[in-house]
Amino acid sequence: MTLVTSRVISLFALCISLFLLSGCGQTVTRVDANSVTDLSGNWNDTDSRLVAEEMIQDVLSRAWLTKYNRSHGRAPTVIVGTVRNLSHEHINTQTFIADMERELINSGDVEFVASATDRKEVRGEVQDQDLHASEETRKSLGQEIGADFMMQGSINSIVDAISGEQARFYQIDLTLVELGTNRKVWVGQKKIKKTVEKGGFRL
Amino acid sequence: MLKLNLSIIFYLLRRILLVSACMMLISCATYSQYAHSLRDGLLHGDPDTSLAIAEKKDPEHKEIISSLEKGMLRRMTDDYSGSNKIFEIAKQEIEKLYGISVTENIASLTINDTFRGYEGDRFEQLLLHAFMAMNYIQLERLDDARVEMLQANIKMMEWGDEPDEDAFLRYLEGIIYENLNEEDNALISYRKALIVYKEKGGQHYPRIPDILKKDLLRLLSVNGLNSEFDKTKKELSMVTYKPAEINNQFGELVVILNNGLAPIKSEAALPIFSTEVQQNLRIAFPVYRGVKGVLDKPVIEVAQQQFTMEKVEDIDALARYSLEQKMPGIMARATARAVVKYNTQQSQQDGSFAGLLLTVTNLATERADTRSWTTLPQEIQLQRIRLPVGEHQVEIQMKNSAGKVVDVMSESVIIKSERSSFVIKHWNAPRIGLPILQVVPQTEERK
Repeated sequence: MTLVTSRVISLFALCISLFLLSGCGQTVTRVDANSVTDLSGNWNDTDSRLVAEEMIQDVLSRAWLTKYNRSHGRAPTVIVGTVRNLSHEHINTQTFIADMERELINSGDVEFVASATDRKEVRGEVQDQDLHASEETRKSLGQEIGADFMMQGSINSIVDAISGEQARFYQIDLTLVELGTNRKVWVGQKKIKKTVEKGGFRL
Repeated sequence: MLKLNLSIIFYLLRRILLVSACMMLISCATYSQYAHSLRDGLLHGDPDTSLAIAEKKDPEHKEIISSLEKGMLRRMTDDYSGSNKIFEIAKQEIEKLYGISVTENIASLTINDTFRGYEGDRFEQLLLHAFMAMNYIQLERLDDARVEMLQANIKMMEWGDEPDEDAFLRYLEGIIYENLNEEDNALISYRKALIVYKEKGGQHYPRIPDILKKDLLRLLSVNGLNSEFDKTKKELSMVTYKPAEINNQFGELVVILNNGLAPIKSEAALPIFSTEVQQNLRIAFPVYRGVKGVLDKPVIEVAQQQFTMEKVEDIDALARYSLEQKMPGIMARATARAVVKYNTQQSQQDGSFAGLLLTVTNLATERADTRSWTTLPQEIQLQRIRLPVGEHQVEIQMKNSAGKVVDVMSESVIIKSERSSFVIKHWNAPRIGLPILQVVPQTEERK
């Protein structure tokens, strides 16, 4: 082997060694909040947003709403209860609930009341006003609006997997229940299916 | 042509080795040496010191093994959400290690096995989910504990035909399902747990625990599977068993005790004869030295009654079994590595400094991979006790082999109607600085 090739090989080896030892840098790119970013195949913001939008569109276009409007002469008051996570992932159902609340309120077709935990804080504030606020600005207790309907639901998943490949199926079920009568006035369902493939090799 | 290629490859490897050796400060201490110092605090009843040592290592949480140790030590110091945070990081890093790494394999064949990414043995990966679930149980987030069980399920599914089912994981899964009113799912979990105990009991799993037999029978009767109930009763020689009547004045206490510490690997070196180069070559590999330790026995005292606990997982046996299974691969890699190292040395036998350096490096870098999750318990013990609804004082007495009580752990528990209340503890040595018999109302603390 000539001296030149040996030098070249040495350099090459040095480069590989350096490469082995070097950590990779981090880059940040800003993307639109509405863009679809599928990284790991897990439940993500896009799923949460799409499901919330479609479900709420569906619930607001059904007969129960017009019926209620006709018989009561006002928009119904809705509250979002719990959405249970029965899937295989730690899904933050709070963001999903927040997405739904936003869609519901912004539609203007229904009235909306604060959830049980939020109400506690608000009541605390009203009690505090009782002591400290001036008479003309003071709010009194017992003036709350009771909700007519409650939305509840669950996120379920079925996963089928063999080495390196997964098929994930999510099913989101939501029900709108009339408070007092426990009558179900609307049932919504949305399904999402994804396949995830993992690479057999890495660096 | 092939010969030329091979010689170039050897030349290349030699250079890589040389340059890497010069540039890297190769730590000669094995993981087991670190693990001994890490566990020192635990063995003296001072988990805070151990946690402090663990937290100092790998502050960026890149190493899976460090994250696993940190997570367990945070648990032992009652920081359940902190524990799950770091466990979750470890879980994601394990996911990243999926697939065969090119560079790691080159390094493991030229330097040593510690350059392979540590993703944990399969039993460790499953126990990660189990301990995360226990954290969630103690944070009173049962739905999240359920998620962990489902993830473990997917993992086992991915492993394919021989899924390495973990008996304790299945049992815990059943208990979680039962508490979420999913009796059908719970029954399936108990059945799966029973299969593992039945097939592997007495080897690397304990024999079928009596409590599991009762749980399975109880659920068969709850689900109305009467013929299977009768059949299983005979099979498990529990003919006289009658499930307790459903009564909303009763709840259940589940005590899980993580007793002792898992074994630590140590390094062994051996000269082996390589037919390829007709030479004796030195190779290093991991072994479990020493026999299984004798554990102190727990006795639960609650409502004026005493209960013993049953062994549901034998991690000591699992660890030894897992290493045994991996030994052929470890040996094959070590032999191949020794041959590569020998060849590189031979080609640099010109009395030069580089040649000498290479020989020294080859000797110094031949280390065994002694990494393992060393803060795992030696055994997991469990007991389920039916109790009337209301507040109860639970005492776990630790008795040594002479029957003398060496430590007492106390906790006040509120039993709810037809629900399980959990007491999950770790025990290695009596806690220092704490007077024995101190009562901490755990349920208040959790909030």
